This record gives sequence, structure tokens and C-alpha cells, in this order.
Amino acid sequence: MSWAAHDLEPYAIQRHSRFKIAFVPLLLGSYSPDMMTKWFVYGIHIGHLRLKASDPVQFHRGWPGFGFTHSLLYGVVICLIFWKVLGSKNWGISFMIGQWAHALTDTGDTVGTMLLFPWTHHFDIGAWAYAGQTGRTTDAAAYFSGLGCMWDAVWIFYGLFSWQVLTRSYFEGHVFTADAFWGKLHSFVPMGALLVLYRAAFFYGSSRWVAWTVWAHVIHHFPYDLSWGGPHWVHAAHP
Amino acid sequence: MRLRLAARLKWGERFRRPSRQQLWIAFGYAAAAALYVAIGVYETDFLLSWLVGAMYLLIVAWAVPVVVRRIL
Repeated sequence: MSWAAHDLEPYAIQRHSRFKIAFVPLLLGSYSPDMMTKWFVYGIHIGHLRLKASDPVQFHRGWPGFGFTHSLLYGVVICLIFWKVLGSKNWGISFMIGQWAHALTDTGDTVGTMLLFPWTHHFDIGAWAYAGQTGRTTDAAAYFSGLGCMWDAVWIFYGLFSWQVLTRSYFEGHVFTADAFWGKLHSFVPMGALLVLYRAAFFYGSSRWVAWTVWAHVIHHFPYDLSWGGPHWVHAAHP
Repeated sequence: MRLRLAARLKWGERFRRPSRQQLWIAFGYAAAAALYVAIGVYETDFLLSWLVGAMYLLIVAWAVPVVVRRIL
């Protein structure tokens, strides 16, 4: 599980892509594996009703469960839907690249992902503890105390190093022209607002990284544990 | 020596310095981020939604400057 990498990776991909890439589906792809599942992993309250997966790890990454959303095949299937059914090859491929980035990034934790689903083997590097089953705040504290947050920091610094991708000229010259979606949106929304929306994921990922780090280490004093598979003060889930 | 110079040139090619105007824009975003972080640390629910983050940025980095420019 990553907290900021999925917001930031699309900017690095955007920078290095040698072909026309559509940023919106790239970002959607990067978010898509967790879109349907995260709320149920942590649980939500609707009035007095509490909705939460009985086995969050199995639900999020396993099979039976929604673990297939973290597989390469899922990206291919949605790509084909965009391409063959909705008629946009660009959206399909961009979505697939974003989703693959997500699935590969999440192999970094102790649960890993079923990359080659329907083969249900979990590929995991085990660099940081998966603690989604402990609830949102403990998970945040654990994630921002281990190597996961360092991985996110790499993307933040890489994004700042590649600051040109965040400029107006880059947006107008590369991002806006690569996807008709922006042009359609421009009929209702001024260019300045579109530029802000384009930058929003980078802003969200990096600001959130700082905020959770402050929350975990300045307000609550959770200890850093940058050892492999850490932090070891939290119960790390395994497949 | 020559290798070091070549490496420095390569670094210079890859990392172009931002202009003064671009630095001002970055400073504005950094100020918006500082406020976002302060609110988020106080009330962590504020950090949970991408939509909230995007709307916050749209208001602070676009709508407010547009209104201020019109007033001035």
C-alpha cells in the first residue's frame, strides 16, 4: 500500500513517455486499483451502520476478493474496453500504464500483489509493512514510519527535480494537446483552472506526505523504523 | 577533470533553473501547501479525499487570485 506514490508517479511517467500520453486516464489508472476497495478496507460509518471487510487483506489484495484490481491483466482488460468499446486507444494505453505502475509499486509491501492473476501467487518485495487491517490511522502511522514513506519521498524529489512538467508551457504544449478531453473541458473551464487541476495530484500527494509525516512524528511521536519490512512495532500482514 | 565537467554540463542540461516568475508561482503553491498541511494535521479527515484536495487547490491557487486581481 502506498499513500503518495500513486499521486506522483504519473508525472514521472508523463515526463519520460516517448509517445503521446493522456494524463487523465494515466492518473485514473494509477488510482483505480484502490478506488473501489480502500473505503471498505478501513471501514466507514453510514449512520449507525459500520461497513468494513471482515478480512481487509484478503478483500484488498486477495482472491476471492478485489486483489485482481492489482494485476497486470486488469489493466489490459480496462485498456481494451477504452480502446475497442469506447474507441480511444490513447486513453486505454494511458490507463494501463498508470494501473501497471500502481500494481508494481504495491509489490513493495509485505502483502504484495497478484501481478499475474489469474495465477494467485503474491509478488512481494516486503520492503515496508502492510498494515491496512489495523485501521486508517495506525496504517498511516506505520506507513509514514517505514521505507514506504521513503519511497514516496523519492517521487516527491524526482517531481521537484522534473519541475518543468508542472509548468504552464509544458501543460499547454504536451498535456493539453495530447488529449481532446482537456479541450472539451476548456469549453466550460478557463485554462488557469485546468492548469491547477493538472497540478492537483502532485500537490495532493506531496502535501499529504508532509502532513502525515508531521502528524505521525511531531504530534504523535511514532518511532521511525527504516529496517526492511518495518516498522516492526506494527503487525505486518502477509498473504 | 574533463569527465567531471561533462557530468556537470549534463546535469545543467537536465536541470534548468526556474525563472523568477516561476519561482513566485512555486512560492504561492508552497504557501497553499503549508496551509493545507496545517489544516490536515489538525483535522486529518481533510487529508483523506483527493476531491477535497483538488477543490482546495482550485480555490486557493486559482479562484482567490482571480477575484483579487478583479478587485485590484
